[in-house]
Amino acid sequence: MGLREALHKETVADLPLRQPILVGPRTTVAQAADLMREKQHGCVFVVDEHHKPLGKFTQHQLMQLLVNPQSEGDRNPLDNQTTAYGTDLQEAVENVMYRPCETVNLRDTIAHMAQLMNTRQIRYLAVVDDAGAVVGLTGQKGLIEYITDCFPRQIKVQRMISQLSLGSQEGG
Amino acid sequence: MVLRPARTSADNRDFDDPDDNFDPPAYADNFERSLGEDSIVEIEHEPFHTIDPDTSIAQAMALMMAEGISCLMVSNNGRLMGIFTERDVLNKVASRFEQVKDQPVALVMTHNPTAIFATDPPTVALNLMAIGGFRHLPILDVDQKLAGIIGPRRVLAYLTKRLYEE
Repeated sequence: MGLREALHKETVADLPLRQPILVGPRTTVAQAADLMREKQHGCVFVVDEHHKPLGKFTQHQLMQLLVNPQSEGDRNPLDNQTTAYGTDLQEAVENVMYRPCETVNLRDTIAHMAQLMNTRQIRYLAVVDDAGAVVGLTGQKGLIEYITDCFPRQIKVQRMISQLSLGSQEGG
Repeated sequence: MVLRPARTSADNRDFDDPDDNFDPPAYADNFERSLGEDSIVEIEHEPFHTIDPDTSIAQAMALMMAEGISCLMVSNNGRLMGIFTERDVLNKVASRFEQVKDQPVALVMTHNPTAIFATDPPTVALNLMAIGGFRHLPILDVDQKLAGIIGPRRVLAYLTKRLYEE
């Protein structure tokens, strides 16, 4: 089976899913940022008591809060509400999160996931089970890892050997 | 003259030497062929934004927000010195923003980033992103000058386009 066919047939469950960071709505922005830093994730999912997603808070929004502290608000193109930002990172994450939180089901195809992410410019996706509870995190990185795993090992080994020196990873 | 010693049975281990295989890779479909043989510049790699190492952290962050980008390349006299990304903001800036916002971005950027060449195929970039953990990869031309940058968003756009091509 070629890679194109595999992407149209295999599902999100076949991807290397990551353990998501789940927080309650009253978690502060500062706490969310600490968790993201600790786990080296770019986002947290805000969930209810059943782990159903209410929204998403990302490192991009964190930067936005720092850069635009006096902004009256910012319009999330996916949300008809106008959210007010403040300078205080003790703000509850529910007041600044993206909503709704885009999700994919474990049974969705990888091609569908790729199309969704590209069309809506999504970097991180909550993976949900049939009950709608968040069970994993995936996104652009997960797709890239999956595709890389499908390639002949020779290409991977040859190229890595030929790198004279690897530079630093961003954020390091 | 030193002669290489003859191979002994102890040397005849099972070893899959990739240099022994000179056959061209077999691709199952055009999508795989594109990944293995396209030039990296088939992936959208412009525009890209560069700043001086003396640019303040706050200015760098404001530029990223204004341009809708998550990575800036830091260069000096055309030489790539580092990159500054949203992940650097999370890891090194956010918790002490007021203390560092006026400091030069060189203080918190990722130094000596790994770069790829314009002639590399997409699989090189994918491997570096997946195995090396590099999210953004500057692209250099044959003269080692900056020619662009790719990140997960641009790679995803390329993959999706190829995936749905006939």
